Formats: sequence, C-alpha cells, structure tokens
Amino acid sequence: MLKMLARRLLLGLITVILVSIIIFSGVEFLPGDACTAFLERDAFGKLLENCRESLGLNTNAFKRYIYWAFGVVKGDLGVAANGLTSIAEIVGDRLKNSLFLAGCSLSIGVPLAIFLGVVTGLWRDRPVDLFFSTSAIFAMTIPEFVSATVLILIFSVWLGWLPGIVVVSASAPVHEFFPEIILPMIVLAMVMTAHILRMVRSSVIDVMTSDYIQMATLKGTPYWHMVLRHVLPNALLPAINVVALTIAWLLGGVVVIEVVFNYPGLGRMMIEAISDRDLPVVQAIALIVATVYVGVNLAADITTMLANPKLRTLHTRSK
Amino acid sequence: MKLLTKLFTAMVFMIAGAAIADPSGTLRESHDLGFGENSSLDPISKGRVFQMTDKLMDRLVRPGLDGSPSADLAENWSANADATVWTFNIRKGVKFHDGSNLDADDVLYSFTRVLDPDIASPARSAVKMIDSMKKTGSHTVEFTLNTPFADLPLTLMDYRLRILPEGSGDSIASTGIGTGPFKLEKLDFQGTTVLAANEDYWAGAPGVAKIEIIAIPEGQARLQAFMGGQIDILFRITEQQKTMLEGSDRYNVAQIPTGNWRGLIFRTDVEPFNDPRVRKAMRLVADREALVQLVQGGAGNVACDSPVAPNDQYRADISCPQDIEQAKALLAEAGFADGIEVNVHVATLEPTWPTLGIAYQAQAAEAGIRVNVVQTPSDGYWNRIWMKKDVAATRWKERPADQALHEIYLSTAKWNESFYKDVDFDELLASARRELDFEKRKALYVQAQEHLFENAGTLIPYTVSMNIGSSSRVQNFDAAKEEAVRWHLVTVD
Repeated sequence: MLKMLARRLLLGLITVILVSIIIFSGVEFLPGDACTAFLERDAFGKLLENCRESLGLNTNAFKRYIYWAFGVVKGDLGVAANGLTSIAEIVGDRLKNSLFLAGCSLSIGVPLAIFLGVVTGLWRDRPVDLFFSTSAIFAMTIPEFVSATVLILIFSVWLGWLPGIVVVSASAPVHEFFPEIILPMIVLAMVMTAHILRMVRSSVIDVMTSDYIQMATLKGTPYWHMVLRHVLPNALLPAINVVALTIAWLLGGVVVIEVVFNYPGLGRMMIEAISDRDLPVVQAIALIVATVYVGVNLAADITTMLANPKLRTLHTRSK
Repeated sequence: MKLLTKLFTAMVFMIAGAAIADPSGTLRESHDLGFGENSSLDPISKGRVFQMTDKLMDRLVRPGLDGSPSADLAENWSANADATVWTFNIRKGVKFHDGSNLDADDVLYSFTRVLDPDIASPARSAVKMIDSMKKTGSHTVEFTLNTPFADLPLTLMDYRLRILPEGSGDSIASTGIGTGPFKLEKLDFQGTTVLAANEDYWAGAPGVAKIEIIAIPEGQARLQAFMGGQIDILFRITEQQKTMLEGSDRYNVAQIPTGNWRGLIFRTDVEPFNDPRVRKAMRLVADREALVQLVQGGAGNVACDSPVAPNDQYRADISCPQDIEQAKALLAEAGFADGIEVNVHVATLEPTWPTLGIAYQAQAAEAGIRVNVVQTPSDGYWNRIWMKKDVAATRWKERPADQALHEIYLSTAKWNESFYKDVDFDELLASARRELDFEKRKALYVQAQEHLFENAGTLIPYTVSMNIGSSSRVQNFDAAKEEAVRWHLVTVD
C-alpha cells in the first residue's frame, strides 16, 4: 500500500507541474500583457515602456517561467503584477475565505445530504422520496446565479432579514463574514446537497438489495440498528468520491457565487487576474487549485481503501 | 450684572455651538475596482480611484452645478489682454490633512508633475497648452501658455488636476493627503476604505462623520447592495435596473443629462470611408431619435455627430433627421449604387454596444448598406479592435468642448480614433482658442461642429443620461455629475 501511495504522490506532483505549464502558456498566448490590460487606451509610448520595464515583461516567457518556478520551490510566490503586493499575502487571504465558505457550506450540506439520501433511499417512491428527489433535480439544474439572485430578492430586498452581498474586505477575520455569508452558504449547500443526495440514495437502494442486508433482516436485527451499522457504512463508500470532488469544486470553481455575492474568494481573484494578465497571481492560484484537486482525490482514494480492504492491493481482484 | 452678562454670553455661544451641527453618521458608497491591484490614490495616475481622490483632494477650479467654472482652491483668476498669461490667486489659510499650509509652491509642484514627460500621465494632454508657470507671490501663481486660450479655467476643472503637498509625489499613491473635506482613515482598495471628516475643511466641516467606499466589481452586485441598504448612493444605474427601484420610497432616483456618448467609428483612412460622401451616407441613415429610444430606453439626448455635451456653452444647434434618400444618392455618387457591406465590431464591454450595432444594422439596411455586427471579446478590446479595425464601437466620457474636439479630431491627437486629418478643421480649432470675444469664439466652435457633421467619420447618435440613486436617508445630495457633487454638504439621517 505504501508503494501505491508513493506512486500516486509522484503522479500528483507531475500533474501539478503540467498544470502550471499549461496555464502559463495559456495566459501568455492571450493577446496583450499586464501593461496593456492596465493602461487600455493609454498603452503606447513612454507609459507602456515604463510599465513593461518595471514589471520585467521584456524578458522572454520561458525565462520568466523558470524564475517563477525556482521561486516557488524556495517558497516565494513572488509579487503581483503591480510589482508591490506580496502574493502569499493576498492569495493567502482569499484562500482563507474560500476555505471558510467551503467549510460552512460543507458542514450544512454533507450531513443534510446524507440524512436525506438515506431517508429517500429507504422510503423509495413514497411521497418523501418524490418530494426530495424532485427538489434535488431543481436545485441541480437551476443555474446558481438564478437561485442566488432569487434568494437575495426574497431575503434581502423584500424581507430585509439578511444582507444581500458581502461588503467585508478580503483580509478581515472570518467571523466578520457573518451574517453576510449565510445566503452564499445556503446556495452552495443547496447545489451540493442535490448531487450528494442522489448519489447516497442510489447506493442505499443498491445496498438494501444486497445479500448481507437480507441476512441481517432474517437474523432479526432491529431495523434502525441495521441501517446505521450495516447500510450506512457501505452506502457511503461511493459518496466519498463525490464529496471529495465537491470540496475541490468549492475551492476554485464557485466563481459565479463569488461574483454575485461579491465574496472575496479564490475564484473571483483568478478571473480578475486573468483579465488583468496578472501572471504571478494566476499561476499561484492555479497551483493551489491543482494541488487541492490532486490532494483531495488522493485523500478520497485512501479513505475508500481504508474502508474497503478489497481495494488495498495494486492488483485487481482475481476471480 | 457683569456675572449675568458673562453667563448670558456663555449660553449664547453654547447654543450657537450646538446649532452648528457636528459631522455625524456614515455615508456608504461603492467603487468598481476597475484597476484591481493597480489602484492608487495618485490623481494623475492611470489607476486613480476617482471616488476617493475626489473627496480627499481639491482642484484650483471646480465645476459648478451648471457646469461653469467656480472657485475651489483658487479664489479668483484673471488673464492678460491676449489670454496668454493667466494669474490665479490661491485661497489663504487652507491646510493639508497633515497640517502643512497650502501655498503657491504646492500648486506649482502639482502641475509640474502633471506635465512631467517621465511620469507620462494621461492627464498631461489636458494641460498641454501650459508652457511655463511661476509663483508671483506666496499665494499667486502665473501660467504662461503657448497659445492664447480663453478657457483655461474650464480646462483646470478636469477631475484629475488635484493639488498635492509639495514633494509628496512618491507617497501620494497610498497616503492621499490633500485639502479635501475628508481625510484618509483606512485604505483598502479591495475591501472597504474609510474616510473621516476633515473638521478644518476650508468650506466648513462636512455633514457626515465618515464615508465608507466599498469595492464591488460587479454591476448587478452593486445594485443589490443598494437595494438591500448596504450602500447609500449609486451612480450610473441602467434603465433596466431603474425599473426595480421605481415606486419605492426607500430610494430616490434622479436622471441628469451628461455629455458621455457612445458611437461608431468609420476610419477615414481606409476604403471606402476615405470618401467623405460615403462617410456622410453612413451617418445619414441613422434615425437618432429611434436609437435613443431603442438603445437607451429614452434616457439620452440626440447628438449630431458632435462630441460636445448638451449643456455645454459651445454646443452647436444642428438638426440631423434620418435621410435615407440622400444617403442612397451620396453612395451612388461615390460609386456604390448597389450598396456597401461593412463589418461593425462591438463587444459587451459596453453593454449598449451590441444593441446599438443591431439597431443601426436595421436602419442602414433601408439604404442598401449591409451591416454585419461582429461580436468581439471585451478582453483587450482597446488594444485589438479600437483604432485597428475599419468600423468599431467607441465610448467617451464628457469633456469641455475644446478638449473633446482636440482629443478626438485634431490631426495630431493620439486618440484620433477615426484617423481624421483635416487641415481646415485644425485651423478652425486654433482660431477658436485664440479668439477672445465669446460670441465670435462660440461661432467658431459651432462652425467646427458643423464641419464635423459634414465630414467626420464618427457617428455620434446621442449623449446618454445618467441615473443617480440615493437612499432616503441621504439629504442635501447634489444630483449632478460625480465630480460636481459637493460632498461636504451631504448629511445622513
């Protein structure tokens, strides 16, 4: 198992390096650079020259990538395109905010999804199931910005119970995000619950028809005891992967929510940095998101392996 | 008896003191973080955050509510007989936020910075006519111009020409020290910047104790913040957004005409638009009244290809109804009897451009002009499309007449987006600047605008009106262009 882990780690590292190269080339190939993006109509003559000099944009792309890569290995993420702000600081703040939002949404979304998944799986095709499954389909298909805007309209404008958007600065301590974080949290939890719920539901249904459950019923195990001790652990195994992907999604892919709610997270910073051609920031965020994806997938696989001894070897099960 | 008089006097002073209200309350505004990491408090840099510099620093001359120059840090001004030397008397007793006194040296320093070719500020083009300047007294500055120019005070109203303390150039981007009604308390471009009232402001202490300026990049989010009561003032509300605010007594929405315009550039240096008849035809097919209704929802004023604002003193009164027949005749004369095909480049960078393109397409079709509306990415529009493609959409913010005509149409202007080279037009502008008599000067500017209507390559169908929203808790708020609002008068409940 250790050998397998080492192999996975190495592959993960290679993936992250490849991602950074691809993203660097991608942004380089976009027309314009950090100076033309900033100066817009004024991007010519002395002003443009000064700008390019001060940002070191006159060295060729390959060299710039190597300098950056060496810097990262040493632990220095560099400075943003304006030549001043330390990236570690600003990206660190955004990462903290994204983690916080992710944590809050997960703490509501996952338990709710598991609970509802089990309930709808056990009472399949009853009114409870129909109601929650249909709601889940709605929550999954309605675009997030639509549900976000509707929620803001209802709770912020009409009822005035909650603030509509986040006006706290990126570097504020996380507790200051309440109560503004409640609406984004609800929207994210809704989407997340929908996906995980359906996964849990189908695996509960699957497990309920298996031999050992039949055995347990025949043995006389009390119903709820059986659900908690036999059904749940087995049904949750496939859900681990979905939760892992959800965690990774929450950290880099919720740009739309961040824009609608003005939430200072990683996704929004990435979009702004690309538009500004701020390569150091783009690279830093790409690195973080790639590492998170790789790490989270690895963690999910390990957890699954721990939970399911059949998967602990490199060889496929021979039968 | 003496004691009674003393007591009485003391009472009067106490009551008077209470009647002059102390600054109280917090006003919240937003900015769009348009410059991201490059945001700065330096008023002449490209990344200046206008909402902050406007409240922290003053100009020599400010726009009055009717647009005419009114005294700010310059108490009064005068010119010599041929308007080549201007003398400005600086207000005495004004202090900067750091306690130092305002004098002529600070004014000279600020303007030298603007004109410095190494700093290469975009504001430099506004004051290029200044040849040299010197102080003729502790509070008097003299500008010597390289051309007679009767409207120097108008030009000095530019929102970027703020007065900084001498020698503050290196630090001003983060300290924002000026003479304005508010001083910097906490700077956070990406989050909430807090400004505190400057109780020693020369025009009187401000009505609010603090102003919070919050970064909200997304237009829809700004509207939601306004509707939810998280910000108190919102400029540039679009017509569609305005409908959500109507009928509620929580908000007041005022609409004011501005000189900001959107239009289509037909480059005059490429075929077929190098023929003035073709250019005129392209502009004649536009039904401008209809465009105002379709594109702006009625919130605009018809313009006849002149970049001069509707309430500018030099505005020419031209009538320009749609004339399909004449357009067809002109095209036939130029050799395009069976019409012409053009690609009009637009982007959603300016949300009304695609609509303008499509409306124009329908109108031009009546004269046999086949328009293809080409959508291009907003990212990099100003580098790849503007001043590169044959026909592209453009937008401009309001400027005084002289500045607008020079910056957009002078042969040597760097933003001459239609590549318009016309010696007669240049001569008209030069004569107008030199003319000291107002009526004659106005006649020359009017002639220049009429010349543009006949020959220019840029279609300017309308100037837009701006919607300004304020919540009902805001009082004494001038419903005017941002740079003319007198912030020290605003109070909140």
